[in-house]
Amino acid sequence: MSYTEDEQVVGSFPKGFGYGPEETDSDIGASGGEEKPRILLMGLRRSGKSSIQKVVFHKVSPNETLFLESTNKIVKDDVSNSSFVRFQIWDLPGHIDFFDPTFDSENIFGGCGALIFVIDAQDDYMDALVRLHHTVERAHKINSQIKFEIFIHKVDGLLDDHKIETQRDIHQRACDDLEDAGLEKVNLSFHLTSIYDHSIFEAFSKVVQKLIPQLPILENLLNILISNSGIEKAFLFDVVSKIYIATDSSPVDMQCYELCCDMIDVVIDISCIYGSRDDGAFDDQSAAIIKLNTNTVLYLREVNKYLALVCILREDNYNKQGLIDYNFHCFRKSIQEVFEVQQNKTGESLVANGTVRSHKT
Amino acid sequence: MNAVVCFCHFCEIHGPRIVYCTQPFRPQEPKGLLESEEGETKRVKSPSVSSVCSDTVSTQTGAGTGTPSLPSMKNDICEGCYSVKKGFVSYDEGGQVSYVSTQHPNNPQVFSRIRQACIRSLSCEVCPGREGPIFFGDDQYGHVLSYTFYIKDSKARGLRRSYSIIVVMMDKIYLLNSWPFLVPNLQTVVNNLQKKAEIVHENEIGKKSQGDRIFTHHGNLLQRVNCKPARSLIELTNDKNVFVLLHLAFVWILKSCGNRITESILEGPPTEDSIIDMEKIEETEEGFMKVFKVEDETSSDSLQVNTESDVDIIDPTLPLVTNIRHLYKILGIHNFHILCHHVVIGNQIIVMGSVKQLVVSILNALKILLPKGCCRVEYYSDKYQESWKCNFLGLESNVKLPIHVMASEKFVMLEVVYDDSLNGSQFDSLDSDVEDYFRSYDFKMSSPVTLQERAPTVLNKMVAAIQNKNLSDSVLEQCFICLKEEWMNKVKVVFKFTKAGGNRSKEDTEKLLQVMGAKGEEQLLKFWMTGLSAQYRNHILSSHVQAKS
Repeated sequence: MSYTEDEQVVGSFPKGFGYGPEETDSDIGASGGEEKPRILLMGLRRSGKSSIQKVVFHKVSPNETLFLESTNKIVKDDVSNSSFVRFQIWDLPGHIDFFDPTFDSENIFGGCGALIFVIDAQDDYMDALVRLHHTVERAHKINSQIKFEIFIHKVDGLLDDHKIETQRDIHQRACDDLEDAGLEKVNLSFHLTSIYDHSIFEAFSKVVQKLIPQLPILENLLNILISNSGIEKAFLFDVVSKIYIATDSSPVDMQCYELCCDMIDVVIDISCIYGSRDDGAFDDQSAAIIKLNTNTVLYLREVNKYLALVCILREDNYNKQGLIDYNFHCFRKSIQEVFEVQQNKTGESLVANGTVRSHKT
Repeated sequence: MNAVVCFCHFCEIHGPRIVYCTQPFRPQEPKGLLESEEGETKRVKSPSVSSVCSDTVSTQTGAGTGTPSLPSMKNDICEGCYSVKKGFVSYDEGGQVSYVSTQHPNNPQVFSRIRQACIRSLSCEVCPGREGPIFFGDDQYGHVLSYTFYIKDSKARGLRRSYSIIVVMMDKIYLLNSWPFLVPNLQTVVNNLQKKAEIVHENEIGKKSQGDRIFTHHGNLLQRVNCKPARSLIELTNDKNVFVLLHLAFVWILKSCGNRITESILEGPPTEDSIIDMEKIEETEEGFMKVFKVEDETSSDSLQVNTESDVDIIDPTLPLVTNIRHLYKILGIHNFHILCHHVVIGNQIIVMGSVKQLVVSILNALKILLPKGCCRVEYYSDKYQESWKCNFLGLESNVKLPIHVMASEKFVMLEVVYDDSLNGSQFDSLDSDVEDYFRSYDFKMSSPVTLQERAPTVLNKMVAAIQNKNLSDSVLEQCFICLKEEWMNKVKVVFKFTKAGGNRSKEDTEKLLQVMGAKGEEQLLKFWMTGLSAQYRNHILSSHVQAKS
């Protein structure tokens, strides 16, 4: 598995206990010396932080999350699938204020890439907004690089109109508060999420994408690929978490995304059952084509051990399968070049060259 | 036992909280609570919760640790983190100790420490298996033995609640040594609570059968009903007296644990030197002395008294050797080493000079190289004294040594010559920091004895210590004591082996010396043997005789 199963790691060590700074675990494909970006999950108690983490990264069924106990210490979770998708998720208990001097808040927020603040939309969110404001203010002071992502969570219980209204209201209040505190330049992103549908995966994808420095290159590659192959929509998926780490620049339709997620499930399930090897259901030969009765074709190819390209295209455009296969081949090669560049840290220029060369078809 | 036992809970609303804590008070400690409780076995203490609270408030503001979320410890107590309104006191008449159990400790310092320990125990440290004992802490905040456990609650998230019992103590060694006692006993307390809670849990599930697990399906919303954020321990265990029982358990643990280990200062056996000192006193007190002592006293009595009384008056204009290091600087490594070599193997050291104070001080400095029993000193004499009388001999200048001494005795002569024409050139450049008044003195060394090539190990170690600039003078002194004691022990072994063990073959002796790492140092061992205390000699010889018969 690509994630560390139920890794329970000690949370922040209170200051002055003699523990050194956090050591980054060395892992596969680690680019030398680069700190793994850290995603913090924060919010009031019972807002659904642990559930999100369990559902997205541990394949826990949403209904089972009802039986989770309250988190009493920071739960760290390493997600190191590939060189692109490498981060740590820290699930922080909502009961504890980590800006308390007892805790080493520098240590917690210093190396943090993104802070996800979860607000329970079904509950009265005024308290949550107060906490949000406090958190943003303090965390921004410690580390101005943090990206703040607000998950307006548990929206499955709300009607569609209500959803929009809630988002608008929360957005308005949160931004007003920040403005009053003179922090108008701090940018907050808002996502409506629920663990009962794919919105949480989508929201998480967007959070993760912001932490991938190569994102523009990947998007560019995907754009070139779809324009040359007659593909409607292409996602680059992290197979295990079903987070998409990049897509082409056309807007994402939620249904398309769900369709692609389901396809990955199907492929994984089939190869788990009928695959010849016990260890990995997903290997470099993995490919699948599903034709739907809506005149669309789903096309899945393995890019590397952890990444898969999933495309949606019209059946009419699928007659030249050879071309698509060839283009995909070029695409995969360039992705690998991007990898190598990151591993060797030889600079960005090579990536650009590689991109051009591989797409002269 | 000077420890605080706390019962902590990870409250669903407030996070880690101290629920209950028991601490011992001794009469000399800040009273406050205990003024009127002499002799009472059990009595609710006077201060109310409000005063406790006001104290904690002052802690938090005073210590600057007040924060928006944690501080709720003071005013905002929910059912889950509430234990007792006032508290319980037990008074131990024998030990003069009062054991007080309250919700929060009164002392702000204690409070901040146990609060820290509580947070760490429930929210930071990870116990393998989630339930069980762990140890953490530091000297600043105290050392903590924490026993974390769960108590079943049908209405809690995850159907259980997290608790811990922590024992906070400043003395790490004591706490760790008490581990084998504390852990099983805490376990008993915990098991007891868990058993009670189990029964309550079973009942609740049975009573409401499905009731507890009803989920309403409303649109896409699944929500668990009947979830209570906080329930008190009393409710969970269905035992009104649970905190009384906890008080009793904690008091017993504190008291028994204190009785378990008593600390005593352990002193090592007296060194050979101190035994010699004691023997000297005894001898004079009882009025009879050993033969060599008699000689010593009679022949040089007047002299010694003189010299010592004179030495007391130190003339600052005249040169004086303050300690062995000083001597080392004055003589330079080469001469110093030779001189010391003579000293440790027992050759007679004759220091000849016109300045009495200097001669005496040199002898005094050299004495540190030998065990006290080996030092027989004649500080300043006007005629030669035989080597069996003294191995340190100070002589007035121009005293002639008898011819037989020159011919056969083993001695080293250090002449201190005053010469106005000298201006320090006789010293090596090394010794630039030698005081000015030594500049007009020259030190000449002569000896008819040729020394062994290899210096004794102990001497090398001593010289190394002298040269080591990191060692202060007092450390150096301790170092010498250790080295001497180490070698005295070897001397004792050899003494027992050769003198008391009957006839030993030369081979065996060789082997023994090799084992002890003292090969080729017979000369030193033999000489140091003369320094063994009479007590030890008698003991060894008599036990040997006993063994024979």
